[in-house]
Amino acid sequence: MILSGWESVFFWIFSIAAIFAGLLTVMARNTIHSALFLISSLVSVAALFILLQAEFIAGVQILVYVGGVMVLFLFVIMLVNVGSEERGNEEIFNRPRQVTASVIFCGLLAAVLIGALNTGYAGLERRDEMKIRESAEGRRTRDQELATSATGASRLTNDTSRIGNSLYRFAALPFEIASVLLLVAIIGSVMLARTLKQEASVDDVDPEVLRTEAAHDPALAEVQTGPLA
Amino acid sequence: MHRYIWLVPLLPLAGAAINGLLGRKFRFSEKLIGGIAAGSIALSFLITVAAVYSYTFGSQAMWPQTYVTSQDGNSFTWIPGGAVRLTQGSEQRTSIKLQEEAEKKRASLPPEQRNEPILVGGVSDSSQGSVLNVEWSYQLDALSSIFMLIVTGVGLCIFVFATGYMHGDPGFYRFFAYMGLFMFSMLVLVMGSNFLMMFVGWEGVGLCSYLLIGYYFDRQEAANASRKAFITNRIGDFGFALAIFAVIATFGTSQYTGVFAQARNYPLEPLGHWGLLSWIALGLFIGACGKSAQLPLHVWLPDAMAGPTPVSALIHAATMVTAGLYMVTRTNVIFQHSQTMMMVVALVGAATALFAATIGITQNDIKKVLAYSTVSQLGFMFMACGVGAFAIGIFHVMTHAFFKALMFLGAGSVIHGMHHEQDMRRMGGLKKYMPITYLTFMAGWLAICGIPPFSGFWSKDEILWNAASTRHIPVGWIVWIVGVIAATCTAFYMTRLMAMTFWGKEKFLDPPAGGEADEAHASAFDKGLTMHDAKLKSAGDRPRHEPGEHVGHVDHHVHIPHESPRSMWVPLAVLAVLATIGGFVGISTAFTGGKHIGGRMNIVTFLDPIIWNPATSYFGSHEIVDSYGKPLEGTVEMHAVLGTAELQVPEVPPPYGTEGFNLAGAIESKVHNETGTEWVFMAISVLVAGLGIGLGFLFYVKDTSLPEIWATRLRPLYQASYNKYWVDEFYGWAVTRRVMDAARGVFAFDSKVVDGAVNGSAWLTRFSSRVTGITDQYFVDGVVNAVAAFVMRLMSPLFRAAQTGFTQNYAFVMVLGLVAALGMIFGADILGWFKR
Amino acid sequence: MFKVFIPTLALLFQEANTGRWAVIWQKAQHPDLSKFLIFGALLFIIGVAGVLTRRNIIVIFMSIELILNAANLNFIAMSRYLQDTGNVNAVAGQIFTVFVIVVAAAEAAIGLGIVIALYRNKETILIDEIDILKW
Repeated sequence: MILSGWESVFFWIFSIAAIFAGLLTVMARNTIHSALFLISSLVSVAALFILLQAEFIAGVQILVYVGGVMVLFLFVIMLVNVGSEERGNEEIFNRPRQVTASVIFCGLLAAVLIGALNTGYAGLERRDEMKIRESAEGRRTRDQELATSATGASRLTNDTSRIGNSLYRFAALPFEIASVLLLVAIIGSVMLARTLKQEASVDDVDPEVLRTEAAHDPALAEVQTGPLA
Repeated sequence: MHRYIWLVPLLPLAGAAINGLLGRKFRFSEKLIGGIAAGSIALSFLITVAAVYSYTFGSQAMWPQTYVTSQDGNSFTWIPGGAVRLTQGSEQRTSIKLQEEAEKKRASLPPEQRNEPILVGGVSDSSQGSVLNVEWSYQLDALSSIFMLIVTGVGLCIFVFATGYMHGDPGFYRFFAYMGLFMFSMLVLVMGSNFLMMFVGWEGVGLCSYLLIGYYFDRQEAANASRKAFITNRIGDFGFALAIFAVIATFGTSQYTGVFAQARNYPLEPLGHWGLLSWIALGLFIGACGKSAQLPLHVWLPDAMAGPTPVSALIHAATMVTAGLYMVTRTNVIFQHSQTMMMVVALVGAATALFAATIGITQNDIKKVLAYSTVSQLGFMFMACGVGAFAIGIFHVMTHAFFKALMFLGAGSVIHGMHHEQDMRRMGGLKKYMPITYLTFMAGWLAICGIPPFSGFWSKDEILWNAASTRHIPVGWIVWIVGVIAATCTAFYMTRLMAMTFWGKEKFLDPPAGGEADEAHASAFDKGLTMHDAKLKSAGDRPRHEPGEHVGHVDHHVHIPHESPRSMWVPLAVLAVLATIGGFVGISTAFTGGKHIGGRMNIVTFLDPIIWNPATSYFGSHEIVDSYGKPLEGTVEMHAVLGTAELQVPEVPPPYGTEGFNLAGAIESKVHNETGTEWVFMAISVLVAGLGIGLGFLFYVKDTSLPEIWATRLRPLYQASYNKYWVDEFYGWAVTRRVMDAARGVFAFDSKVVDGAVNGSAWLTRFSSRVTGITDQYFVDGVVNAVAAFVMRLMSPLFRAAQTGFTQNYAFVMVLGLVAALGMIFGADILGWFKR
Repeated sequence: MFKVFIPTLALLFQEANTGRWAVIWQKAQHPDLSKFLIFGALLFIIGVAGVLTRRNIIVIFMSIELILNAANLNFIAMSRYLQDTGNVNAVAGQIFTVFVIVVAAAEAAIGLGIVIALYRNKETILIDEIDILKW
């Protein structure tokens, strides 16, 4: 899978960009900036996906991750982070002791990971040397066989069809489970984010709790409870 | 017509079922119940008559062969074989020829195949034994046809009588249900084609006897009597069952045809040689003793008089008690093989006859007298069988059924007329008030005493003649003497009964010393009892006074006896006619010149194919049969109705030799004429009968103070007789109380030893559990608690410190763990890489 | 100037073609699987650092997203590697990535819901001020 030519250039560009953006995500003072840096990191990763010829996943990443999850993040940041500009002088990092400990361990982690990866890859390379060489030609021939796009400038990959074949046949069960998971997430998040007033109006609050809360908050006392009151 | 005999037991059963199941529910009227019951018996009787007629005289007459309904397919496999393989005997359909064929085939096979079952002629013959297949089929032959006629005919009379006698009783439907069930059981007994069916009927009549004796179940006396009857019966059944097992094991089948076809080939067992057939005969005879109330199992019959009078008439005079006779005659081939058993039968019968006759002399309850008379007459019948005159025994069964049922029904009529008075000392002079009863009863009296030409004379005389002239056992003369004495006693006490009941002073007109308890109808208790009329202390025929019974007012109203209604005296008349003329079917050969006349109408001829002839080892003593059932070709032609064939009685060599004193032989050597000898014995029989009657007249008509005088003079004998020789007391002491003691001992053992062991183990368990509980509580738990406290004190601050509530600390720990894991796994590689 | 500068250049040039760095440059021109994995690892570490050091809950969540992305990158790289060395149709890694994205989305939704509920109650989003569960 050795990249070469322009691909390697783009690889370096995008990977540096991803790392950089990630670093800035962690270190940005403004939370919105953090989110935006994360978005750019995600987009870079998506580009890396395309380099790896996983076009479908790249699309999914941008659509779902960036377009869905990050937007959600932004909404929540707006909801809870107002006034952070006023509190501009707040510390964004933990106490120095914790930061030092974290950094040390992260360094250790880095050493360990990279060391492991390198040794592991060396062994892998030794094992699969022949295959990699052979597959390079095969890949080229396969790439020639792909259909050309309408403009004739590039070819249409069949990554999506391959994923579709596998996903809906062999991974059908996890697929269904994942959909159930999403359902659970939806319902759960709706339930978690209700205010006391909203809960009281559908009669989901214990009367005792409602009374004590209503003592603090007069607006609660006017809530009309549901038919089962 | 004889293919419809399967209906004969079924109709009474259906009637009983309808009466029993629906009678109370739908509140049948007495007329309806009686109609169903008597009607079913009447139908059975008609079918029986038609069947027997067609069997004997019809166009397809099968006599002397046996007709079994399975020949027409009217049978079903009752107990299928398969599980029971018998190792002896052969299955009844394998004839001897097939067996020989099988043997030849077997010999021709190589040795390793010789033990396999061989199919010969479509029937499997295995030397390993055959399979016991018991079918439910009915057999119609001479013996069973006579019994069928007796049971249904006399039964019909009794049923009609009972509809009148039991009038007003609330359990009317129950009575007839039980009676119908009894008829069914009795008919199965006499019509069954194998031993197991006979046993079913045997037990069934025992059960119905229990139900009917205990019909007045609210009376302690009746309940005791019914229990006694059933249990005594059961003791006999034990022997009977063992005999049946032996039969099945020996002969491989329970069908009469099969068993007897094999049994006739067995060797004879003379006196002193006790073999297999003697054992079987012993078991059978024990059963017969239980059922037919012979010594020592006779004790239930007198007590059974606690039941209603029709029950006594039917069961204890005519039918059930004769089941033993039926069985002995049916298996006469087995009995005749064993001289010892023949002697036992004859001697037991003789002893019983005398024993019961002497008791009957002193009894005061009219039904008890008749009961002891029954026991005595049954003894006569067994005497007949014991000396080899089986046909005569059956003949006496028939005549006894007639006159004893007649007398029981007559007694019932008297009791009914006397408003349930049973003590003869309170009767007298009833011939004016109950003329029909008196006349019919007189017919029975003359019959039982043995006055010619009444039926009883013919049968009893033949019995005595055969006892004297028998060659089967050496002690026939003893039997004869005992029989003569018993006949004298019979005549005496029957005359006594007649005198006390029908002749003389009307004692019921005297003011009563106190009303007697009602034996027959429990609802008449209200008449009241007083204690002071118990003059004699013995537990005899007097009604028991229940503790707590209320003593009502002394009733001074005198009841004038009245004649019974028509439903009651018509059967009496019928039976009286039969008792008078019924004996002519067995008219003695002395009258007819040494030959049995009348062809098939002569009972001895009729029964001949049933009786095994030891000389020829075939059944039947005449040359008309060559093997069991098949007539020889070219012999005497048999004409149909009242067949005119005259049958020679050939000279039969004695099967057991000529040892012993033969009385008839002795007389004959003096008279030099065989018929003359018979006349001598006949004269002696009539003489003793007349003697008995004369004494009876003397004591109870002429000079009524004589009984008291002689009772005082012969006080010990009188007491012994009046107290029934204390047999019941003896049994109570020897058997009942000993069994209760054993039960008490076993109970003590069980409650003390067995339960003690169980309780002791329970105590031990509880104790040990307490010990372990304390150990666990103090020792084990103490250690655990101490350790836990120590650990808590040590570790608790540490763990508390880890719960900071600060999420990032937890995440940090995770990362730490990750680093540690990776370090452990890849540590060596990483260091190597760094060193490069 | 010439005595020092040009020889240095010449040395550099020589070094650049045959030295250790040449090898590295050569290798850098043809990145293979190991590079992808290393970059994935670096992203992961940055994410972990973010989780452990920042005080703002939202930023912590975003660091978690970074971690998940690193994992995704790993998966895709491995899937490509498998395609190259064996079965053309080995798309298991990509499928796994789909599910990771799904789970990440669900987790983000729930987590942010919790954050909102927490904010309503405690009026703060700084994680070290939320330490109710301590001893």
